[in-house]
Amino acid sequence: MSHSYPARRSVLLGSIAAATLAAAGRPVRAQGGYPTRPITLVIPFAAGGSTDVVGRLVAQKMSDELGQQVIVENVVGAGGNVGAARIAKADPDGYSILMGTVATHALNPLMLKRKPYDPIADFAPVSLLAVIPNVLVVNPKLPVKDVKELIALLKAEPGKYNYASSGLGTPLHLSGELFKSMAGVSMQHIPYRGSGPALNDVVAGQVPIQFDNLPSASEFIKSGGLRGLAVTTKERASSFPDIPTIAEAGLPGYETYTWNALFAPPKTPPAVIERLNAAARKAMADPNLIERMKAFSATVVSSTPEALGEHVKAEMAKWAPVVKEAGVTTE
Amino acid sequence: MTDLLANLGLGFSIALSLQNLALCFLGCLVGTLIGVLPGVGPIATIAMLLPITFGLDPVGALIMLAGIYYGAQYGGSTTAILVNIPGEATSVITTLDGHQMARQGRAGIALGTAAIASFFAGTVATLLIAALGAPLTKLALVFGPAEYFALMVMGLVFAVVLARGSILKAVAMILVGILFASVGTDLETGQERMTFGLAFLADGVDFSVLAMGLFGIAEILRNLDHTETRDVVRQQIGRLLPGRADIKQATPSVLRGTVIGSTLGILPGNGAVLGPFASYAIEKRIAKDPSRFGNGAIEGVAGPESANNAGAQTSFIPLLTLGIPPNAVMALMVGAMTIHGIVPGPGVMTKNPNLFWGMIASMWLGNLMLLIINLPLVGLWVRLLKVPYRLMFPAILMFCSIGIYSINSVPTDVMFIAFFGIVGYALIKLGFEPAPLLLGFVLGRLMEEYLRRALTLSRGDPIVFLERPVAAGLLLLTAVVLAAALLPSLRKSRDEVFTEA
Repeated sequence: MSHSYPARRSVLLGSIAAATLAAAGRPVRAQGGYPTRPITLVIPFAAGGSTDVVGRLVAQKMSDELGQQVIVENVVGAGGNVGAARIAKADPDGYSILMGTVATHALNPLMLKRKPYDPIADFAPVSLLAVIPNVLVVNPKLPVKDVKELIALLKAEPGKYNYASSGLGTPLHLSGELFKSMAGVSMQHIPYRGSGPALNDVVAGQVPIQFDNLPSASEFIKSGGLRGLAVTTKERASSFPDIPTIAEAGLPGYETYTWNALFAPPKTPPAVIERLNAAARKAMADPNLIERMKAFSATVVSSTPEALGEHVKAEMAKWAPVVKEAGVTTE
Repeated sequence: MTDLLANLGLGFSIALSLQNLALCFLGCLVGTLIGVLPGVGPIATIAMLLPITFGLDPVGALIMLAGIYYGAQYGGSTTAILVNIPGEATSVITTLDGHQMARQGRAGIALGTAAIASFFAGTVATLLIAALGAPLTKLALVFGPAEYFALMVMGLVFAVVLARGSILKAVAMILVGILFASVGTDLETGQERMTFGLAFLADGVDFSVLAMGLFGIAEILRNLDHTETRDVVRQQIGRLLPGRADIKQATPSVLRGTVIGSTLGILPGNGAVLGPFASYAIEKRIAKDPSRFGNGAIEGVAGPESANNAGAQTSFIPLLTLGIPPNAVMALMVGAMTIHGIVPGPGVMTKNPNLFWGMIASMWLGNLMLLIINLPLVGLWVRLLKVPYRLMFPAILMFCSIGIYSINSVPTDVMFIAFFGIVGYALIKLGFEPAPLLLGFVLGRLMEEYLRRALTLSRGDPIVFLERPVAAGLLLLTAVVLAAALLPSLRKSRDEVFTEA
């Protein structure tokens, strides 16, 4: 009798496989030329984070545009470097592309002593995809109503206050460092493993101040668990029109944000880049996608490949002094 | 109270929809299956099934994933009792008396007791989540880095006190676990520790890799070592429902186990794993005749089984109320929620009441289903366990490899489970328990993190651990337990407790 059980198990396996295929099955309408097979989009961060959410939304729309499935693969590690390095060394055939971010293409390369890739030479830029605002939040018990009051408080008692971020060398940590240097104040940085634990301690009052992604902090701001003092972008976020920007609230010229963009391996043929760029731009113009991104506090943007290349250079130039001043280096 | 009833009503109206009932059932069934199969745990399974849930609505997806998790706790006990292999880490302790009962021809009673104890504990824990969810959101916020550090120290000391076998070996294993935990990029400074310049070590050792290697692969190796002696109970399963005398004996243990398990389950750092151990130690200590333990005492099944199930349920509390995953499975749940556009945190309860209460109601329904699946299907599970191992282990090995690769898509993870499998095998051969190692690994990383954070916040002043009443209280308790464990007289009795096991 016992031999019948492996068969039973394989039925179960089969049905799981079938379900996977059914989920992936989409009408294929490739008509000659690129792409003729599925494309792998490497997301260098864990499933569930903001980059992953944006990446999956975009992958789905681009699949429709390209007539080939765009398969998301989360290649996690070393703050995004493992996934980015994989694409830097991948075959330049357009079948492996990367969801790059401000971390993989500006901050990490500036901080690393041992550089696994060059963010400019080792990639062919495709298109910017999304801009995600950061936000300066405080525990509601902290007696400050706006950025000016916060700066005054920090100046009155230098070195007394702490601020939390999702980790050393993250865009949020450096947003805090930029804030410190521009406002001329001092705060002790407390790094966490990701936004979640940091938010918890700030809501609980263990740490009074935090720089966070707007999407992850938004629930707390809405429920009153945190006070949103200001967003870090040049313009106010459409999902929180009442929260001023740091620039208008007291530090003119202050601007940071997290961005996501599509990159291909270096030496990818221009025709392929063109095709990917067109698909990405079309995907980013989809009203449904724009709506979902807006609900997520992300702003849809798209660009030419050249503009993205310039953007990377501009971001490197903007962050280099901040990284240097903060004295952050990683191996 | 009326609020609670209204909320539960809402929950049941959602959980009882045809689709959600079907998903709950599917989750429980898959969970039981993987619980029964040693080496395939809920972490790998949930990780593997995560992509499939993208097409479902979030409530249904989370109901199914939750079902897999607590279903595995049920299934794990079945293997523990019948084969003397804990299907899950939380059912390790059930092997002690459960398997003995099975050898005495009381397998059915042991399985029945485990299932009923689990169901009872699951029901209580579900009510507890419903009742305590809101207030706990506030209470857990009182815990700062200093309190968490004290909690972790307590967890590690308890792990030593409760470890089986030699205390020295347990301490050694915990320290090795802490060492493994400190591999990788330092959180505070960004410098690499013990990576030997290898890029794949920069993020440290992955928990699921370590766990799968130490438990899954090592188990397979050990089984291959002596396949033929695999101890599947050949006797009759016998009747499943415990008799009146059994019920009378088991009831107080179930009640205590439920309380212990629920309490420890809420704690971060995989407190649920401690539940069954704590429950067993207490049952044995207060028993009139401790020598019965290890020889098929029904309390030794009833207590730990209710504790593990209660813990599995209540570990949802930090997830659902704070969005903080207390263990790897819950971390996967956070991922699943975010994929579906739900931001985990205290907002879930007010902003997604359908999800919160629907999941809670489904947990109770799931427990009921498990009771129904498990008792009549015991025969099937037994036969499944009699499948020749040469057919089973390649499938398990393949599942492990796919599962681990699918998490990070890094080939070195697969190589690492092989490495840790060999390490685990060597440890078993040398008489070291791998469980304290894993605990040291999980708690060690958090402990260091909280210690340094607490000290950064206090600007380097260690008095912070004594100034804060909760932290000081926990540390005091820890010191008392440690002192007690080291007293020669108590040490002797502790050795007796565990050496028989």
